[in-house]
Amino acid sequence: MSEVATVATGWGLTFVAVATYSLWVVRRGRTIGRELGIGDVGSTDFQRDADPRTDP
Amino acid sequence: MDLTPRHEIEEPGHLRRAIHRRRRWSIFAITVVLIAAMAVITAQGLRNATLFFRNVDEAIEQRAELGDRRFRIQGRVIPASVQGESGVTTFQVVYGCAVALVRHTGDPPELFKSPWIPVVLEGNWVPGDIQTVAGTDSHYFRSDRMLVKHTNEYASANEQRVSESPPLGFLDTCPFKVPVNTS
Amino acid sequence: MPGGTNSTEMTATPATRVLGISAVAATAPMILLGLAISPADVVQGEAVRMLYLHVPSIWVAYGSFVLTSFSSLLFLARSKRRPDGGRHYDRLAGSAAEIGVLFTAITLITGMLWGKVTWGTYWQWDARLTTTVLLFVTYLGYLALRRLPADPMVRGRRAAVMALISFINVPIVHYSVDWWRTLHQKASLSVGRRPEITGEMYWTLLYSVLTVTIIAAWLTVHRYRVIRLEELRDEENLEMLISSRRNEKTADGTGHGDTT
Repeated sequence: MSEVATVATGWGLTFVAVATYSLWVVRRGRTIGRELGIGDVGSTDFQRDADPRTDP
Repeated sequence: MDLTPRHEIEEPGHLRRAIHRRRRWSIFAITVVLIAAMAVITAQGLRNATLFFRNVDEAIEQRAELGDRRFRIQGRVIPASVQGESGVTTFQVVYGCAVALVRHTGDPPELFKSPWIPVVLEGNWVPGDIQTVAGTDSHYFRSDRMLVKHTNEYASANEQRVSESPPLGFLDTCPFKVPVNTS
Repeated sequence: MPGGTNSTEMTATPATRVLGISAVAATAPMILLGLAISPADVVQGEAVRMLYLHVPSIWVAYGSFVLTSFSSLLFLARSKRRPDGGRHYDRLAGSAAEIGVLFTAITLITGMLWGKVTWGTYWQWDARLTTTVLLFVTYLGYLALRRLPADPMVRGRRAAVMALISFINVPIVHYSVDWWRTLHQKASLSVGRRPEITGEMYWTLLYSVLTVTIIAAWLTVHRYRVIRLEELRDEENLEMLISSRRNEKTADGTGHGDTT
């Protein structure tokens, strides 16, 4: 493999990996949230203990 | 009001176990695989990692005890010494003012052509009267595996040209002269 | 890259949305700097561009594992005193470890590709590479342990102990290149030492570290919240199972069960 092809592969794989994982996390959150019937963001206590700054 | 009889408090644990039984087995299997992987890695690592290579000066010093045993040698390639013909590359490597002649079989990595590149070679000492830039020697190194050992120095290709002269200070104290590349 | 801007997302809050947008916004200059603006290396040529992923990834992985250990320590120390049993720390440890494993994997993959074009091999069992793959496998084991069904507090304590044991390897990985002879070069960036890297490359590398850190922070927060949701769901499922079981029992007599 040439240098350029190697760099392209490395960057490509990295972005695919991070994007896939990000999507998985977000989707999983959405799915479970729906299962639990949490419709409105902010209606659960998890956000408060996750990030105190978001608590007005 | 909870009127559940006392013995039913046992139920949640029982139920949970039933639900998780299948999951538990797959996780158990994964754990076993992971432990096995760690054992293999550790074994591999212990065999190789502690003394990954000998520098040229040490390899020459330990020549008697090394005999024809396989080991890895590390040194910088003297650019003017490189000769290649029919799949065999001959060159000299230097480290700590000790020089070894190398006969390498196989295709060298791409970066081998970079002057004064440090390389790690896998092979063994072979007796034979040869000539190096440091004088005569009784052995040469027969190698069939070459790895380029990159340094942690990074420089812009726009600003710096590939230098044919040895790295600063690398050969300053050596009693021999290294010829400048003539080819 | 992170989709932190979706308004229907369960795990987003205004703060993390800003973080998500920053992550996406910071990525564009990183690509530009890393793949176009920064120069090729005098020896390794274009292959040097792998450095801008490889080095930030392992730094972020180190940082994640530090967070995991710190949280695990707090979980062990404070679990009795906190109303939620310190499970906040347990969640933080778990989410950070997962992000750490992801970035360790990225470090290994980018490193192997780089190794192929510079060293001439994908893999060598030298001290750095061996300890790094051991780090990866150990934390993978940690994540597996977290999934073993058990009482949350028991599981949390087990995981915390394993996290603290696993962390021993982090300084070993980092200093392996100084302690042993390795094919791998010595650290590209280290505190208190003049970097042996030219200006543009140095700044590109630092910028990449910053960007990858923002991405990892965003991921960690969201993963934390998903773990919280998973816990809520597990608790709810358990409650439903208990009550449905009770209903079965009571159904024989009355036909209607108390569903609380």
